[in-house]
Amino acid sequence: MTRPAHPHAMQPSRAGRTRTAPPLLPDRFPFQGRYLAYTLFDLTGVVYLIMGFVVLRVVWALGDGPQAWQAARDSMASPLGIALHGIALVSVCFVGVRFFRLFPKAQPPRIGPVKPPPRPVIYAMLYLVWIGVIFGFMVIINGGFVG
Amino acid sequence: MSTAPKKTLVVTRFDPDRDAAPRTQRYEIPVQTDWMVLDALNYIKDEVDGTLSHRWSCRMAVCGSCGMMVNGEPRLTCKDPLRQYGETVTVAPLANFPVVRDLVIEMDGFMEKLKSVKPWILRAKELAVEAGPVRQSPEQLEEFKQFSLCINCMLCYAACPVVSNEPDFLGPAAIALGHRYNLDSRDEGASVRNQIFRGEGTVFSCSYANECSEVCPKHVDPAAAVNQAKFNALIDWAKGLVLPRGRQEQP
Repeated sequence: MTRPAHPHAMQPSRAGRTRTAPPLLPDRFPFQGRYLAYTLFDLTGVVYLIMGFVVLRVVWALGDGPQAWQAARDSMASPLGIALHGIALVSVCFVGVRFFRLFPKAQPPRIGPVKPPPRPVIYAMLYLVWIGVIFGFMVIINGGFVG
Repeated sequence: MSTAPKKTLVVTRFDPDRDAAPRTQRYEIPVQTDWMVLDALNYIKDEVDGTLSHRWSCRMAVCGSCGMMVNGEPRLTCKDPLRQYGETVTVAPLANFPVVRDLVIEMDGFMEKLKSVKPWILRAKELAVEAGPVRQSPEQLEEFKQFSLCINCMLCYAACPVVSNEPDFLGPAAIALGHRYNLDSRDEGASVRNQIFRGEGTVFSCSYANECSEVCPKHVDPAAAVNQAKFNALIDWAKGLVLPRGRQEQP
């Protein structure tokens, strides 16, 4: 069932003399066909919002002393905490892959006299940086820089 | 004697003088294997129901007139083979546009948006005719050629979820065309257009759904243009902060 779009979508600034039927949304928006990937991409924002609150809570616990910190760590190890992190991991991977697929073509043909490298090089750089950042985080989480 | 195969077209009808809202009408017609969707609509118009209204002109994917929603997808009906669809094919006016009549959409909103990006060559100072043509190398042409292939068929607007919800959004084709002139070595109006692009409802409203590029029948890739325009608008803004005199002279 097609739903109406914004009533003023693509309306001219001055209405014509002929009465027009209001604009409709594309049939498949937001959960069918290619729109599904786009909608899921946007919905990952909700996951990041929740994770943001979780991180704030953990940081808060860090300031409340060792017992609060341990309690926060224990809550992270609960099934709910693990599930939340699993969802966050899937979201990050999904957004990463989609972003990496679309990012190279968003590069301008040149900035001043400088041209961007060829697309395969950009793809390779993106994935290398991503792997590097993940590796860095893993080192930090495992106490690599402590002591 | 062989009988031609038949298909049923479910076509959206709307007469502003009689209908409160668009409705659908079914037409069962004999079809040829090499027909495009537009051929079927023209058959209906010529042989079955002369009151059906739809736009078309060149029949060779150049004029951009015959864009419609076919089975829910924005398609240029003159290059959309009918045989790829099943027994029943739905044809509706382009989504996101007000409907004037049947399959005919209101284009004035699009024309206003297109004009607002100044899609023509802007120069600070016109050269004298005696100076001869402004030459352009193949490399310079290559930078914008892809974006100049747009035929303004508006399929990208029908696919864009931002157009659906944000009436002020300039939209993919208009931004792509503005960006095309920004990349043109003969043009000197990039700072003017970048100022437009930094305004409300312009390039930064795009959430990069990429649908415009998926449905573009000419492979223009408007999503690339919009997101390159974002980058250039930002660079131009930053240059204006750091180098107030470094900007181009505004034509």
